Amino acid sequence: MSFDLAELTLSLPLLVVAVGGVLVLLLEAFSGRTASRAWLAVLTLAILGLATALEIPAWEAAATPRAIYGGMIAVDRFSIFLSVTIFVGAGLSTLLAGGFLREHRFEFGEFYALILLGTAGMMILVQANDLVTIFLGIEIMSLAVYVLTGSWRRSAKSSEAAMKYFLVGSFASAILLYGIALVYGTSGTTNLLEIGKSAVVTTDPVFLIGTFLILGGLAFKVAAVPFHMWAPDAYEGAPTPVTAFMAAAVKAAGFGVLVRILVTAFGRPSLTFGAGGWASIAAALAILTMTLGNVAALRQDNIKRMLAYSSVAHAGYLLVGIVAMGRVGDEARGPILYYLLAYSLTTVGSFGVIAWFGSHGDERQHIDDWAGLGARHPAAALAMTVLLLSLGGIPLTAGFFGKLYLFKVALMKPGLVPLVIIAVANSLISIFYYLRVVTAMYFREVGRATSPLRSRGVTAALILATVGTLALGLLPGWAIDLATQATILTK
Amino acid sequence: MIPVENFLILAAVLFAIGVLGVVLRRNALIVLMSIELMLNAANLTLLAYGRARHDATFQALAFLVVAVAAAEAAVGLAIVVGIFRNRHSTNLDELTLMKH
Repeated sequence: MSFDLAELTLSLPLLVVAVGGVLVLLLEAFSGRTASRAWLAVLTLAILGLATALEIPAWEAAATPRAIYGGMIAVDRFSIFLSVTIFVGAGLSTLLAGGFLREHRFEFGEFYALILLGTAGMMILVQANDLVTIFLGIEIMSLAVYVLTGSWRRSAKSSEAAMKYFLVGSFASAILLYGIALVYGTSGTTNLLEIGKSAVVTTDPVFLIGTFLILGGLAFKVAAVPFHMWAPDAYEGAPTPVTAFMAAAVKAAGFGVLVRILVTAFGRPSLTFGAGGWASIAAALAILTMTLGNVAALRQDNIKRMLAYSSVAHAGYLLVGIVAMGRVGDEARGPILYYLLAYSLTTVGSFGVIAWFGSHGDERQHIDDWAGLGARHPAAALAMTVLLLSLGGIPLTAGFFGKLYLFKVALMKPGLVPLVIIAVANSLISIFYYLRVVTAMYFREVGRATSPLRSRGVTAALILATVGTLALGLLPGWAIDLATQATILTK
Repeated sequence: MIPVENFLILAAVLFAIGVLGVVLRRNALIVLMSIELMLNAANLTLLAYGRARHDATFQALAFLVVAVAAAEAAVGLAIVVGIFRNRHSTNLDELTLMKH
């Protein structure tokens, strides 16, 4: 195994984020007990900004995809596009966290260190070209997010959410690891590309069991039905900036690794097609995930929980993209990437409005609390309206083009028409509960008095997310172009 | 020499016991222990295959898993302590603040 400086330069963004995380952790240890932690948030944003800037030369260098570190890490535009999506989610969550932590009085610097370390785990995950790297990336990401979920220590809901997320998450990791052991044992390699080419008989039941265990473990991470039961509780109980981080970045990383492993390691026709192939299973999961997520969201009075179920539903739409990738081919990856970017931006923004709305330890998540918001805080109500319409897929927003491109590529295969019809029907159902919030904000009498938190960071995050959602909706061309260029994987 | 299949079957049984423990037991600590059992079943599988294939890389991966499992146990126990401080209980059936 060779190890040279050129390979190190290619993973510079990852090194910046990982070393930055450790640096923030050290600075926290050496700063005074009562000192403000706002500067650590600024430093975190600077580190994420530097990593984003470094991805620009990396984009050029990745024009020819290759694998480095003895094949463990893939260098391609697919991973760079997803890394930047993850940076957007992490950066906006950091902006939200500054004001939120201060308002609810649990400000501590490790929070930002964990955001950076979790981001590093996600970057490893989207670049992983080896089962070992996948396992490491998942664990680095998950351990950071478990702790973030439980970081509001005085809140009973937060520790309950952390407990559930941790137990289900590490159960999923153990299933994934057992799957890795079986696939490694039967094929003799952990490299995704070599597994794809290995001479192992794909009818070997042990190899097939391993495959399903790996995919099942990953389905837990992206919260696909029937592996979603942790998501509503974890999303609702976690501090809202963490929920935003989970909904945007963890989902993007999870789908990134799912796409790569399905194409490279399990891409051969005998594993893709047929009744037991992953394309058929993903289609069934997509229908279940969309429908259950949306039907459950309809019944929620707690807005944060409603958005949690809506994020389950969005995992279902993304699974339609995965099915299209199996049936139609590689061109389905562009729409998946665009959808992940649009969805990340929108979902961070909508959870951001929820984070903005509560104060003094009272989170104000019930829909009745939101009545009359349009009269009192017109700007915030407008932002929430734009973001919810984008989640629902209304034209002129990012979410509309996300769904349009995703469903259009799926329609290239006539057999997928029923699946797309179900997906469109689900989008229509989802508009009901998004509009319920909008009507509460604009057409209902003012509920009890509110004093939303004041923070420049939170305001900036909401403006950035809303403007970004509109920009992606009005001028989707450049993002689509980038996503299309990013469809080629290391092979 | 004991055939490799025996180790693989033992590992599969341990893994199944772990899964059942996670699904059936209601105490957070026991669930945590069951997850550790699942990880160790995976490790035993790796080592058995390593012996069958005369490949030490399997053992390297097993060491990596041990390290990750230690990190996971540290975080997990911290979360259990956190919830015990809030509730004075580690029974998972009592975690119902967010049931709707």
